[in-house]
Amino acid sequence: MLRHILRRLLLAIPTLFVVATIIFLLVRVIPGDPARAALGDNATEEAVDQLREELGLNAPLWEQYVTYMGDLLRGDLGTTLITRQPAWEQIEFVLPYTLELTFAALLIALALGIPIGIITAVKQNTPIDYAGRIFSLAGLSLPAFYLGLLLMYFFSARLGWFPAIGGGDFDDIGDNLKRLVLPAVSLGLIEMAYVARMTRSVMLNVLSDDYVRTARAKGLTERIVLMKHAFRAGLVPIVSLIGIFIIGLIGSSVLTEEVFARPGLGKLMVGASKQRDYTLLQAIMVLYAFLIIVINIVVDIIYTVVDPRVRYD
Amino acid sequence: MNHTNERQNIDQLVREAAETGMSRRQLVQRAAVLGVSASALPLAFGASVGAQDAAVLRFGSSEADILSLDPHIATGTQDRTIVDMIFNGLVRYVPGTSTDFEPDIAAEMPTPVDNDDGTQTWTVILRDDVMVHASEAAGTDAYALTSADVVFSLQKAANPDSSSYSANYEGWSFEAVDDTTVAITLESPLSETLFLPNIANYSGGFIIPQQPFEALGADGFVTNPVGTGPFAFESYTPQNSVVLTANADFYRGAPLLGGVDVRFVPDATSRELGLQSGDLDVIAGLPEAQWVDRMNEQDGYTADVFGVGEVVFLNINTEMEPFDDPAVREAVVKAISREGHIALSGAPVGEAVYSVVPAQLMAGGLTEEEATEAGVNVEQDIEGATQLLSDAGYADGFEIDLVTSEQDGYRRNYEVLAEELRQIGITVNLEVVQHQAMHELIRQDENALTFYIAFRPNANIYLSQFFTTGGGPTNFSKFDVTDLVDQALATTDADEQAQLWRDANIAIQENYAGYGLFLINQVYARSESVDFGHELNAVVNLYPGIDETTTISS
Repeated sequence: MLRHILRRLLLAIPTLFVVATIIFLLVRVIPGDPARAALGDNATEEAVDQLREELGLNAPLWEQYVTYMGDLLRGDLGTTLITRQPAWEQIEFVLPYTLELTFAALLIALALGIPIGIITAVKQNTPIDYAGRIFSLAGLSLPAFYLGLLLMYFFSARLGWFPAIGGGDFDDIGDNLKRLVLPAVSLGLIEMAYVARMTRSVMLNVLSDDYVRTARAKGLTERIVLMKHAFRAGLVPIVSLIGIFIIGLIGSSVLTEEVFARPGLGKLMVGASKQRDYTLLQAIMVLYAFLIIVINIVVDIIYTVVDPRVRYD
Repeated sequence: MNHTNERQNIDQLVREAAETGMSRRQLVQRAAVLGVSASALPLAFGASVGAQDAAVLRFGSSEADILSLDPHIATGTQDRTIVDMIFNGLVRYVPGTSTDFEPDIAAEMPTPVDNDDGTQTWTVILRDDVMVHASEAAGTDAYALTSADVVFSLQKAANPDSSSYSANYEGWSFEAVDDTTVAITLESPLSETLFLPNIANYSGGFIIPQQPFEALGADGFVTNPVGTGPFAFESYTPQNSVVLTANADFYRGAPLLGGVDVRFVPDATSRELGLQSGDLDVIAGLPEAQWVDRMNEQDGYTADVFGVGEVVFLNINTEMEPFDDPAVREAVVKAISREGHIALSGAPVGEAVYSVVPAQLMAGGLTEEEATEAGVNVEQDIEGATQLLSDAGYADGFEIDLVTSEQDGYRRNYEVLAEELRQIGITVNLEVVQHQAMHELIRQDENALTFYIAFRPNANIYLSQFFTTGGGPTNFSKFDVTDLVDQALATTDADEQAQLWRDANIAIQENYAGYGLFLINQVYARSESVDFGHELNAVVNLYPGIDETTTISS
């Protein structure tokens, strides 16, 4: 197992190298001038040219690439072109907000989605099943930003239960959690719909398997049949998809971050893209690639726990 | 009333305010009864509010983040908003206005002296009670601003390596005569109209103190600004907020607010809900009359519409075929309905202009009467435009490719233009690109027809940036009124200067090289508990203006 993890980590190095190269080229393909973005539409051409020179944007592409890869190998993500802060400082600030939102949304998605999936599978073709399926279909159809605005309207503007915007301060955990509720629900409910539909589908397959029929024939209670036999087996594909859910949540959190004006990785990336902040954009995308690799390795490890048949060695 | 009596009355007012927690209005009324002069009020307000817990105003910006908080670099609306609260100019625009000036760091309004060698010197006497904010990031304590700081700041503003506005200071030199006197010498004399904006609280005119700037360096100053204004910079969190705290040592009196928390909320609906939920006190609005009406219909909120407006004007490339033919350019202008474009914003947000320089905001623009009299106020005439095209050899019309920004302000104007041109047989293939990409592409002459939306503080900048060879890539029309602009620059007679600018505007529109359509006013909404402390007619820094007199009532 350890050898497998080490091998995966070693493989991550060339993967990150290729990803970093592609990202370096891609961000430069987008039309737009970071110096113009930094100085604004009103700046004179002289000021823009001067800044381009200062930022090294007039250097040949290969020279910029060598500098970039050299810095990256030393673990230096560079200095943002716009606010001249170390890119890592900006990422370090927003990353906890994105992780907090992602895991809170995942928790909501799993806590609601799995029971709904199981219940609708067990009560197949009954009113409960129809209601559950309509609920999850609504979740799938509703854009996260729209749900977010609806939640803000009712629970912030009308009822005043939760703050509408901002991420809060981690030093004030009460305020931070209050500001997390609506964004997490908004993002989590959408993901819940996926979890519920997938759980229902998996459970429907499992419930018709021979060993479940055997368990029932043995006279086991329906609860034990469901939770100990059927659900345990159904958990394997669900776990394998949790990694994809997390990656999806990190990616789709950008709209939620935008609507709730929360600091976050996605919001930072969109801002960097709009401002043509090559350094920051590259740093965030490399971090995304790194996170995806790590999440996949973690899922592999969890896989061995929930399914004893899996042995990487 | 003698000075001692007034002082006693101020003290009494402060005591009463601190004991009873008077609102701002009650304080003003009580001050009138006691005969306290208006100039002494901020001091009394500051002292009284200081005794209580002053509220922090939460301001919802429509931008996602800052670009630079160095005022000599700052060009984004969000940056201008923040630096206006932190820094001061030698003089300032009278709060809420865009044309009148009054002393700020200067103790009195400077006046020019024409020297024998043809230069001109403006002597500025500084107040002796202006304190530079202490800065943790810079490691500098609060200290009294001196002429050395002012000279340093003006030299920085004039240096293209450290300023986006250096062109405004070409041929200027600065000297600290003594600790509180600065002499500004201009190689070529300037009128007040052109001189004062450059030492006012706008762009290069903001005074950056020397010690903190040198301690932080240019890069450090971008996110750690240190000034002398009513609010001092406290913190910046990327894409989230900039927090300012009240400067108790401010020379016009301590601010009535405890601070200002500028939050970046790019989504308009979120800002609106943030205002309704009480998370925000003031928000940037949408430049649409419908939005203004909707906000005003809600209890407890007010939408403010005020200048300065950003002018929407069309540039027609006079060198690019087929627009090198004046008849084709005339056909384009005749196809345009000014009202159709104004309707995109609706009155009072959208307001007609009759030249590229807006007459309602500054000298040198054309009023409707002046434009009509000069024959450059063109009414929409589809038939006439079609005939012109036909006579020019384009009876079957033609196709053109244009790029536009994804931003509504640009995109919708191009869409309306495409429909207007379709009516005379010109097919526009419109490509929507990101805003920054559009700015790059239009500077490469990608568009034969280019909309630009901008506010500039005087006619000289509008004309020289967009209609002279010196404008470089932003001379989208390739039309040149350099002679008139230079003549206007050379005269110190305000009337003559304004007439020369008007002549330049007429020349631009007579040749169908550019066409002023309308201006988009600033739109903000606020909780009715917010009082900016001044009338809102026009603010050059593109926000309502928050200063030491701004209050939030409980």
